Amino acid sequence: MSPIHDQGYRRYGGVRTPAGRAWSVIAKAGIRTLISKRAFIGLLLLSWVPFLVRAVQIYAATNLPQASFLTPDAKMFRQFLEQQQVFLFFITVYAGSGLIASDRRANALQIYLSKPLTRMEYIFGKMAILMAFLLLVTWVPAVLLLITQIMFSGSFRFFVDNLFLFPAITVFSLIQVVTVAAAMLALSSLSKSSRYVGVLYAALIFFSQAIYGILYAITRNSRMAWMSVGSDLAQIGDAIFRVPLRTDLSLVVASLVVAGLIAIAAFILERRVRGIEVVA
Amino acid sequence: MSIVTADHVSKWYGQVIGLNDVTLGIEPGITGLLGPNGAGKSTFMKLITGQLAPSKGALTVLGEPIWGNPSLYDRIGFCPEQDAFYERMTGLEWVTALLTLNGFDQKTAAEMAGRALEEVELSDVAGKKIGAYSKGMRQRVKMAQALAHNPELLILDEPLSGMDPLARRKTMRLIKEWARAGRSILVSSHILHEIESMTSNILLINQGRILAEGNVHQIRDLIDEHPHTVYVKAAEPRALAREFLAEDNVLSLKFEEGAVVVQTARPDVFYARLTDMAASGEFGPIQEVTSPDDNLQAVFQYLVK
Repeated sequence: MSPIHDQGYRRYGGVRTPAGRAWSVIAKAGIRTLISKRAFIGLLLLSWVPFLVRAVQIYAATNLPQASFLTPDAKMFRQFLEQQQVFLFFITVYAGSGLIASDRRANALQIYLSKPLTRMEYIFGKMAILMAFLLLVTWVPAVLLLITQIMFSGSFRFFVDNLFLFPAITVFSLIQVVTVAAAMLALSSLSKSSRYVGVLYAALIFFSQAIYGILYAITRNSRMAWMSVGSDLAQIGDAIFRVPLRTDLSLVVASLVVAGLIAIAAFILERRVRGIEVVA
Repeated sequence: MSIVTADHVSKWYGQVIGLNDVTLGIEPGITGLLGPNGAGKSTFMKLITGQLAPSKGALTVLGEPIWGNPSLYDRIGFCPEQDAFYERMTGLEWVTALLTLNGFDQKTAAEMAGRALEEVELSDVAGKKIGAYSKGMRQRVKMAQALAHNPELLILDEPLSGMDPLARRKTMRLIKEWARAGRSILVSSHILHEIESMTSNILLINQGRILAEGNVHQIRDLIDEHPHTVYVKAAEPRALAREFLAEDNVLSLKFEEGAVVVQTARPDVFYARLTDMAASGEFGPIQEVTSPDDNLQAVFQYLVK
């Protein structure tokens, strides 16, 4: 007689991801989805062109006496991070606008949140996706530039003379990336349309800059720069890199605006990321 | 031991009340949550899946408080009423992705997803994009994700909604099989006979309140106690009416175009007599017999009187 086999479910006896790491599942899935898009990979590659230009600059300055005027300093690193803002904007819009909006459009939140995944883990996972790509075009190339300088010059002299540079690059990149990612995630949670979210984000950046520009043209007073998110971040960046400040905006005010923006984003996310409330 | 206990649970959405002072205990096995649209079924289900916090009261699922206890979600499978997936993904990809949230590695998740899809008879379309699935398939792939991680408690929100009769019958059979395999199942519907064919244990909910709980036959008795309206479309409605008037259980009669509408105090006796009359052929062909009272709304109206 042939044996009877139980074809039903059996409890899984293997290893499971420990609780509290579900955010990494969300992050990995999001990263995989984005890097499968050719246009996005093209954008990432393009964002590394300034790095190559700066690397050539460092090579020339350290190896060619006639190019000594190109010698890198703290200002160069500040300028590099400022140039990367263009890519920061496009990557934020491309990678960030659909992060929560797509889940809302697909009604996926109610299923996700019925799994062993907290709202905090979900938000953290989504934030990690955007932050990973934003740090890839800010912190990573800037630190690599520092390493390139050491390698091409063959000494640690520049690094030792500018010991604040590594923490400056790290701290400013993080402030910039956290601010931008938090703002984009909050906007993404407000709509089901990623296009609309992209427009909202562009409006936040350009409209705030335009309002400040108009007020500055009228009053010639740069203290109003707090209205522009970009100016707030620029002021903080200048202070961190110890370069002359570009406006009369108080550093405390700029920091408060950035902190306020992150707090508002956190509040919006707390309100919007939840199982859909339907009385049915 | 009750698998779900609610102690004076209420849920408000601002000024709107979703659930009103509900106290109950749900026993293992299949329990039907029956109520019309807007009764509070989905709110109750979202509360017991931990997606919403009660505004007031205490709620436990499988012996533990559910709110803010995501480790418990691993023992629960939830199938929402609305579609909730990325249509560009295949059924297998979608169920696999959700299983990774339960902590399974990709390979194990894919295997388990395959088994769950087989269980709901979707193996042959597991590799197709969900966007190409029929309504019945979509419902079943949602059920597959709910049961794929082998939960102790399945919560199915209107799983039969939009299905054709064949898919409906298949799904009801699956639900009964899962219960026989030892799972507890809470299934919601606004159609009495759907629930009746899966379980005799029901909860009646309306306007956020549990109106009755227990055996479906007791509910049936409640229904049968109040005057019951029956619409009979026939070739000779007047001949039928004459015969009905001789019956003690008939309380009133009225005529509509080609039909007679009867109100009876004893629907069981009335239906038996009507069957005899149809079989005798003396009153011409009877084309249609429906009871507007069979819909739940009438029952609820009666119960809240």
